[in-house]
Parts: sequence; C-alpha cells; structure tokens
Amino acid sequence: MSAARWLGLVIVLVAASLLAVAVGTVSIPIPALWNALRRVGDTMPIMVVWTLRIPRVALAILVGAGLGMSGAALQGTMRNPLAEPYLLGVSGGAAVGAVLGLALGLGVALLPLAAFAGAVIAVVIAFFVAHAAGARGDPRVLLMAGVVVGAFANAAIMVVMANAEPNTIRNALWWMMGSVGDATWGQIANLAGYVLLGGGALIVVGRQIDVLALGEDAAAGLGLDVDAAIRRVFLIASLLAAATVSAAGLVGFVGLVVPHLVRAAGVRKHRELLVGSAITGATLVVLADLLGRVLRPPGEMPLGAVTALIGVPFFLVKLRRLV
Amino acid sequence: MIEFDDVAVRYPRSTMSALGGVTLGAGRGLLTAIVGPNGSGKSTLVRALIGRIPLERGVIRVDGLATTGLSRAELARRVAVITQREELAFPLLVSEYVALGRFPHLGIWHAAEANDQRAIDASIDAAGVAALRERRIDALSGGEWQRVRLARALAQGGDVLVLDEPTTFLDIGHEMSVFELLHGLARTGKAVLLISHQLNLVARFADQLVLLHRGAVAAAGPPNSVMRAEILERVYEWPLVVSRDPAIGAPTLVPLRRR
Amino acid sequence: MPVFRFCSFIAAFAIALSSCRQPEHATQQRDTLRDDYGMSITIGRPPQRIVSLNPATTEILFAIGAGPRLVGRSQYDVFPDSAKYVPSVGAALRPNIESVLATHPDLVVMYASQDNRQAVDRFREAGIQTVSFKNDSIEQFERDTRLLGRVTGDSARAFALVDSVMATLARVRAATANLPHPTVFIHAWDRPIIAIGGGSFLSQLLDIAGGRNIYADIPAPSAAVTLEDVVERNPDYVLASPISAPKMRASASWNAVPAIRAGKLLVYDTTLVGRPSVQLGAAAVSLAKLIHPGALR
Repeated sequence: MSAARWLGLVIVLVAASLLAVAVGTVSIPIPALWNALRRVGDTMPIMVVWTLRIPRVALAILVGAGLGMSGAALQGTMRNPLAEPYLLGVSGGAAVGAVLGLALGLGVALLPLAAFAGAVIAVVIAFFVAHAAGARGDPRVLLMAGVVVGAFANAAIMVVMANAEPNTIRNALWWMMGSVGDATWGQIANLAGYVLLGGGALIVVGRQIDVLALGEDAAAGLGLDVDAAIRRVFLIASLLAAATVSAAGLVGFVGLVVPHLVRAAGVRKHRELLVGSAITGATLVVLADLLGRVLRPPGEMPLGAVTALIGVPFFLVKLRRLV
Repeated sequence: MIEFDDVAVRYPRSTMSALGGVTLGAGRGLLTAIVGPNGSGKSTLVRALIGRIPLERGVIRVDGLATTGLSRAELARRVAVITQREELAFPLLVSEYVALGRFPHLGIWHAAEANDQRAIDASIDAAGVAALRERRIDALSGGEWQRVRLARALAQGGDVLVLDEPTTFLDIGHEMSVFELLHGLARTGKAVLLISHQLNLVARFADQLVLLHRGAVAAAGPPNSVMRAEILERVYEWPLVVSRDPAIGAPTLVPLRRR
Repeated sequence: MPVFRFCSFIAAFAIALSSCRQPEHATQQRDTLRDDYGMSITIGRPPQRIVSLNPATTEILFAIGAGPRLVGRSQYDVFPDSAKYVPSVGAALRPNIESVLATHPDLVVMYASQDNRQAVDRFREAGIQTVSFKNDSIEQFERDTRLLGRVTGDSARAFALVDSVMATLARVRAATANLPHPTVFIHAWDRPIIAIGGGSFLSQLLDIAGGRNIYADIPAPSAAVTLEDVVERNPDYVLASPISAPKMRASASWNAVPAIRAGKLLVYDTTLVGRPSVQLGAAAVSLAKLIHPGALR
C-alpha cells in the first residue's frame, strides 16, 4: 500500500478520535473544546473532556488495535478468513471469570483481573487438551480444543447465572455486552502495555505468519518450526484478546472484520497487515463507541451491540462477493 | 547432493513401518525419480525430509551433512521442497510469493538486500514466469502455478530440489514443459529428486530411477535397467509389457488388459 | 288506612335497607372487581391462608392485620421484621408453583408483571383465588391497599392505613410547596447507570418532597443513562445509596457532575424508600429532610 494511503489511514484515526472527543451528550462548542483540551476555562467542559471522553477514546483505540492485530495474526496462521481473536475459548473463559467474580461478590474493581484470569485459564486448558490428545500444536486440534473449552464455559456461565441474584445477572450481562466507559487510567496503561508488547511481538514474527499462510508443509519446507510458530502466534494473539476483554468486556466482530478491510486495500504482507489492522481496528472501535453514545439518548448502546450491527452487513457484502 | 541412508519411518499408531530402511541418493547434475505404487512410501520420504515425521532409524544427508545436525533454516537453504498441494487462503502476487523463498535466508530479523532481489529475479527467469510477475496467484493456470512454485523453490538458493508429484493436475503440454524445465535445471548442476507415479513420463527424463515397493527399494538405476517387465509386474501386481520405441527414446510400460 | 299502609311500607323498606348493610363477613354476597391483570376478584369469605409474593403487599398485609394469616412469602419480603417468621416459598417473579401449592393457600397475592401471568393461570386452575397488583405508583398503592383490604376482610384497617399515609404525604407537600424545587438525579444502579424515571413512585415522592426529578420526562420507572447525560442535565443534587455514594464521591468520572464536585451528593435510605408501601409517608419525610432540611419539624 502506498505511503499516501498509510498516511490517510492514520489521519482517519486521528480525525475519528478528535470527533469522539468533541461530540457527546454535553455539547461543547469548538472554542470551548479547545480551551478544555488545554485545561483552561470552565471546569465542566474540562471534566467532561478529560475524565469522561478522553479515557474512553484511549481505551477504544487500544481495544481496537489489540483485537485487529489478534484477528489478523490468527487468520493468517489458521489460513482461515473466519478466524477471530476469541477462537481459543478466550471470550468464554473471560466471561466465566467475570460472572464467577461477580457471583462471589468481588468488587467491580477486581472484575478485569477475574476476566483476564478466566481467559488465560481457558487458553491454557485448550493447549492442555490438545496436548493430551497427542497433537503437538496441530492447529486443527487446538481449534477444536478451543471450541470445546468455549462450550464448557458457556455451560458454566448458565449454571452460575441460574443460581445468581438478579443484581449479579444484570451486572454480568452488562459486562458481557462490552463497554469502554468503565476504564480507569490504570487499566488503560495496563492494556497499553499488552497491546504494545503483544502487538510488537506479532509484528516481529510477521514474516513467520506470511510463511505459515502458505500451508504447514510448505512452511516446514522453508525452514520454519511450524508447530512452535503456530503455538507462539496463538498464545500471543489470545493473550492480546484476553487483555482487551478484561478491560472492555466482549467486543465481537472487530477482530474478524478489520483484517478483511485492510486486505481489501491491497495489503498482503502480514507485518503491514498487522499495523494496518491496528490502526483500522482502533478507528472502528472509536467510531462504534461514539455511535453507541449518541444513537439512543439518554442511554447508550453497548459497544458489543454496535460492532455486531456493523459486522453483519459487512458479512453480507463479503458473502455476495464470494458467491 | 542428497542421500537417504537406511531411513526407516513408522507412523504413530501403525504396526507396520511406512519405510523400512531405504537407501538412495540423488546426485548433482542428475534428475532422480522415485517411483512406485500407492502406499510404497514415496511421500513419506518427503515428509521425513522436511521434518514433519521423525525417523525411526537412519540418516538423511545433504551435501554430506546429516540433516539432524543442520538447523531448519540451514536445511531449507540447501534443499527446496515442493509438496503435492499448496493452496493459499489469501492470494499474493507472484513476485511476493517467490520472494517468500528467501525466508530461510532472512528469517524474521534480516532486511532483504540486493542479492536477495537478484536471487528472486534469477529464479523467476529460470522458471520462465517473468511475464507473470504482477499477477495474483489465484489467477494462474495449473501449469503457470507449478512454474511459479518452482521459482519460489529456486529462490531458496539451494542446489537440491525435491518435488512431490509435480505434474499431477497438469495436461500433457504443461507436463512436458515442466519436465523439460526440471531436466534443464538438473543439467545446470542441481540435484533434482522427484517423486512421481507416472513411470512412463519420468522414464523419459530421469537419469536415475528408484523403484519403491512397500517401504523398501525394489530396484535402482538408469531407466533401462529398472524398467523390466519382471520387476515391474512383481511390484505393480499387474500384467504388463515394456516396450522400447526408438521414437520415444526410453522404455515404456504398457499395462495389459485381463482377459 | 293510607297512613298505616304508608308506615308499614316505610317499615318494610327500612327493614329491607338494614338487611343490606350487614357486616361483610357474615353474608354470602359476591362483589366482582378486577385486579391489575384485568382478572376478576370475588369478595367472599375472607381468606385464611394467604401467600404474598411481593415485598410491598406483604408489608401491607401485616399493616392491615392479615399477618397472622400469611402462610408463605417470597424470599425478598423482609418487612416488617415479623415477616421473617413467615416461611419463604422462593422467587417473586416466576414463582415455584409447587412450593406455593404446598402451603395450601386460598389466596395468592402477586406482582402483575408479564413474567407472572402463567403462574396466575396455574393457581386459578388449581382453584385458588389470586390477586395481582402492579404497585409502581402512589395511586396504585392507594387502590391496591383498599382492594387488598376488601379481599382479606380488613377493609376498615386498610382504609385507615391509606388515609394515614396520604395525610402524611399531603403534609409534606404543603410544607415544601412554597420552597424552590431543586433538580435531583436519583441514582439506582451503577453498571449500567440507572436513573429513576418519571414512571416511578420514587419520582412522585421526590415531587411531594419538594424536588424535581431530572429524568421526570422518561415515562418508564427507570432507565439506563450515560454519565455525560447526567452532566448535561446538571442536577442540583444527586441521591445515591449508602453503598454507591462513597464510590461515586471518590470516582474521577462521577466528579464531572458539578453537584458531586460541589459536595451535593446525598445518601438516601434505599430500604425506606425502596417500595411503594406502608412506609411511603416516612419515605417522603426522609426525602424532604434531605433536600429541604428544616422545612419539616
């Protein structure tokens, strides 16, 4: 992709972020907005901009970048256009962690930790199940193990919710629908660490994903330790997804849709695809959050709902092209 | 060159060995073909070479060095393997695809340099696909795709080429042109080892034939010495004759109909 | 002769009239009324084994003297204290039919929501009288209490209870009528943020107590809102539960609401004001004391 297009991509992200900071239920005219950004003038706009909007936008950027990169890496490694970040039971495990945490009375401050722990445990179990089945990191077996873990997680959630207090259920459902509105700066910094390290690691092994995308035998013939490379990508991509889930709940479709958008723009090498997916994913989540905030006043539409609503028509278009 | 020295392979959960002590070699400047009926172990040899299945016994040597002593990247720099099938989920341009052949040299850390580009260009020319550079690989015909795969293998820079059934889905014209190409590459000094079940075709081009039967070498040598009716009938378990038509210049196996 | 005929006619008429005004529990007369599902209620012999699946109605039943006749309550009905001695039969919404039937009730009082329709049909099939109330507003409390009193045969006490509550409410309204009404945000839940809307009795109580609900424009009893929306509506006061209030005070994002920054976050007694029931009067008083301290003596 040409340099101009890359620049355009970045500009769109910056513009979307500025828009998301400028627009909201409280209308702040541009001069007041400029003052608020510089922490000058009326307290109210400053508070709205700095404690309500900027944290949301920052978290949205990180969540979108993390999910976009995770999805791109998994699609290339699995050679499957339908692969997505929650593949190895990440979403199921995180949800179990969160719901159990809520049911056991853990405060909402500890919820992200519970979700992350659940996600990590799910991924570990998936690897363990695959290993016990005798496959040395064979992606097909890993995938099946992930599906099994995810199904078990769903069952566990149902059991917990059936016996839970209505308040717990309400909290759990709201968490599962995804939101970037509940983040503290501590959580944002934490996620930033994961996205930078995890994303960076994926970019470093990007060439390996190019080779894996040729098929396992071809990749082996090119000198790659295929099983180790696949395991590595799965692990990093799943941890990245787990980190986003712990900060923002379940946000679907982003990891699935974004890599396709970037590929459609002519990006084929995975290092570039990963960077492009990070930028595009960030833009998508920032805009989705903005839409969710303004579509249904005085309430907001959950982030997961907005991304799903965007994702479905996208799929219809893609399906038509395939057929 | 590449040698298989008493190589034995057993698939997990199998009672029988897929390969039971196979010894064969493919020398530089020669086109060596491994032939045999289905299940004789031909593809297993390739899988063992690329490390997808462990050896029960024996050693594989490339240029005199045991493959166990070479890193995967080093092996890939010396030996290029073209497997039976390859289907990409996400299409690349031919030039990008061939460039992946430099992966054994570049790994994840090294930037591509001028000599890498030279190797890519030379491979594209040698495989005769220069006109297809900017085409997407999902827009190629079967014959064009095989040549492009060959170009990628050549870009790996090694002197050994191993091909598993390179012409299975090609028509006569493309088959012949691929084999002419392989023959030409062998003459430039590469050790070309190919696996094929099309005995008649390889007999015309191969300098050496190795006939496998149930995981062991049944016969090895120039086509004339291997393609004898008594040997072939025993291995293929079917009545046949071997004819020698001067126009063809090589022995031809003709299976007979049962009466 | 006409005088005698006229007097006997008057006497007969008087006797006939007096026989109409017998105390209810002595007659076999049937009056037909409707509950909040529109189902008919027959008022006959007062029920002796009552199951109440609603915190408000349980409390009302105790207040009108029907407490001793309660044989079952929902797990959430914990007011008044004596209610705890009544065995719990489980959930209030989608109740466990068998648990309720096991108490052999002759009256089941339920909350008139969509969820409970099936249960009501089952109870009626089993020949048990059901009465379902949608007690979300003060008017509904009035009507429901009077109706409940008639069904259980405690009309007099029910009417007296209603009168007392309404009198207190009127007193509070009068005391705050001429004061400026500050705008108030009533916080009910945190994730998502739920505000009390205009359709809730709590909103009515706030109005009586001399405040204005910033979400009175929402017809529903509650609604999910965003923090920015609360900031935009800029209430003078924020009412929050004892558990939420400290968290909100300490939260950077909640401090974007000017009232919280200015220390105008008030803690309201969520148990006292939690249901439109016997304590409505005291609830109004407590709210008035919060936003108009000193207005009531």
